[in-house]
Amino acid sequence: MFTATEAVVRRRKAWGAKLGQFRKDKFLYLLALPGILFFILFHYIPMYGVLIAFKKYSVYKGFMGSEWIGLDNFKTLFSTFGFERALRNTIIISLYQLIFAFPVPIILSILLNELRHALFKKFVQTVVYLPHFVSWVVIAGIMFAILSPNTGILNEIARFFGFETPNLMVSKAYFRGLLVVSNIWKEAGFGTVLYLATLVTIDDQLYEASKMDGANKWRQIWHITLPGLRTTVVILLIFRVGSILNAGLDQVFALYNPQVYEVSEILDTFIYKIAFENARYDLATASGVFKSIVGLVLVICVNWIAKKIDSESGII
Amino acid sequence: MKPTKGENIFHFLVVIFFIIASFCTLYPFWHVLMYAISDPKASMGGGLFFLPRGFSLYSFELMLQTKGIFQSYVNSLFRLIVGTFIALLFTAMLAYPLSVRRFAGRNTITMLIFFTMLFNGGLIPNYLLIKQLGMLNTLWALIIPGAISAWNLFIMKNFFQSIPPELEESANIDGASPARTLFSIILPISMPVMAAVALFYGVAHWNSYFDAIVYISDPKKQVLQVFLRGMMNVGSLSEVKDVDSMAASSGTVTEESIKMATIVMSVLPMLIVYPFLQKYYVKGVLVGSVKG
Repeated sequence: MFTATEAVVRRRKAWGAKLGQFRKDKFLYLLALPGILFFILFHYIPMYGVLIAFKKYSVYKGFMGSEWIGLDNFKTLFSTFGFERALRNTIIISLYQLIFAFPVPIILSILLNELRHALFKKFVQTVVYLPHFVSWVVIAGIMFAILSPNTGILNEIARFFGFETPNLMVSKAYFRGLLVVSNIWKEAGFGTVLYLATLVTIDDQLYEASKMDGANKWRQIWHITLPGLRTTVVILLIFRVGSILNAGLDQVFALYNPQVYEVSEILDTFIYKIAFENARYDLATASGVFKSIVGLVLVICVNWIAKKIDSESGII
Repeated sequence: MKPTKGENIFHFLVVIFFIIASFCTLYPFWHVLMYAISDPKASMGGGLFFLPRGFSLYSFELMLQTKGIFQSYVNSLFRLIVGTFIALLFTAMLAYPLSVRRFAGRNTITMLIFFTMLFNGGLIPNYLLIKQLGMLNTLWALIIPGAISAWNLFIMKNFFQSIPPELEESANIDGASPARTLFSIILPISMPVMAAVALFYGVAHWNSYFDAIVYISDPKKQVLQVFLRGMMNVGSLSEVKDVDSMAASSGTVTEESIKMATIVMSVLPMLIVYPFLQKYYVKGVLVGSVKG
């Protein structure tokens, strides 16, 4: 049994030890200080700044001087022309990307893993990573060149076979498809990096043993490779679902044009417009807050579900 | 074990698949390059498949005379070099203490940083902060707020953690300060991860444009990607005044060619650096991202 004084002495000693450790490591803290200040200044202060969403923001009165108006901005926002459309487009584009683009790197990495010639494998990897390092602006330029109805190579081929293609870049029917295809072209290869890193951790003996038991390629992939990738897939899936309201600002902003606003105006471009074209900082912030909260809630939910299914997986 | 017949067929199909995939990935770049080095008048008719039509560097010549392009290129290079250096330095300085196990409070700090990956203030609070700090219309607005990316920080931290702690302890006993330990012991053996993270930061700096659109309104301080975007969107070079007189004779013929030449020039720095860093980053990311 401890007496009260003994407990106090122990606690003091623990604190003393901590303080001593702190003193001994003060240079370590000093080294970390700029980074910690960075996160406070550029991440936590803007989080505090979201309070603008609950104020009637006036540039003249500033952040402190503007008056509180509760949830009025959100009410206005939800009835603002274009918000519903932006929200709908964001979700549709994100779901397309999730369904069609998300699985591609998984399939690619499984196939890459099957390549036997080290040199050819290296060549393929170098090639498929490449588009990741090019900006969306450049890719937009390349796409304009290839898809152009006059001089574009695609139309040239189509014409050879006797039909005409519409101008895809300004076509409402095809634009979202174009977003998905170009996203796969740019990012699918690089998306394999993490999966390949996971694949090298799978024990080769598992494959040998399964071959002994007469398993063919499909069974090996199904029973060894895919389960081996599961944790990585789940982590990336949680992040992807959590950012469902991020439909790819860089991509959309580079590719879209007035003819296709109807199908491609997303929340991010909408926020940009109400902020800098209509000067409604409060509404734009409210829209951003809405986006962030939905994302956060989704991450927590999906993470919770993932943990229910398999306690080992999840990000938190 | 010898591969079975079925496996050989499977492997053959996979090889064919990757040959096609590689072609589809490379061809668009090739097409743009061929367009850029073709004779602008000849390429107007389209139908450029594998070889240039005629050969001319006229598009490049015109591009170099385009008003503002040189300045934006210099701005982008400044952003790339200074931005990557600052980012590497700041990230390593925080990643290292967070990788030391006895560092009190490291879990709390790590959690708080991780949280920033899930929730952020969004466009406007960030914009107002940059404005308050007086960084609007400076290249610093593109460099400082991105000095540490949580993602890269964790990759680096995990890599540092994979280094045997004895190394750090012995340096400690010899009286080396943490800064000295970091710079003369840890960093030299962390080249793979440093190269990988440098590549990630570098590519991000070179390719970003949305932040430049938001924070920079002075055309003299604009970066190359924004300049390029303006070029693509305008759909006509009439805004780029100096070119007008030169291209007037050939009309819109040269317009596409100049765009292609600009694209080639914009991709160039990446293509030069990429092969050198390529071998490092898979290794760097591998150790840094897979928790062992």
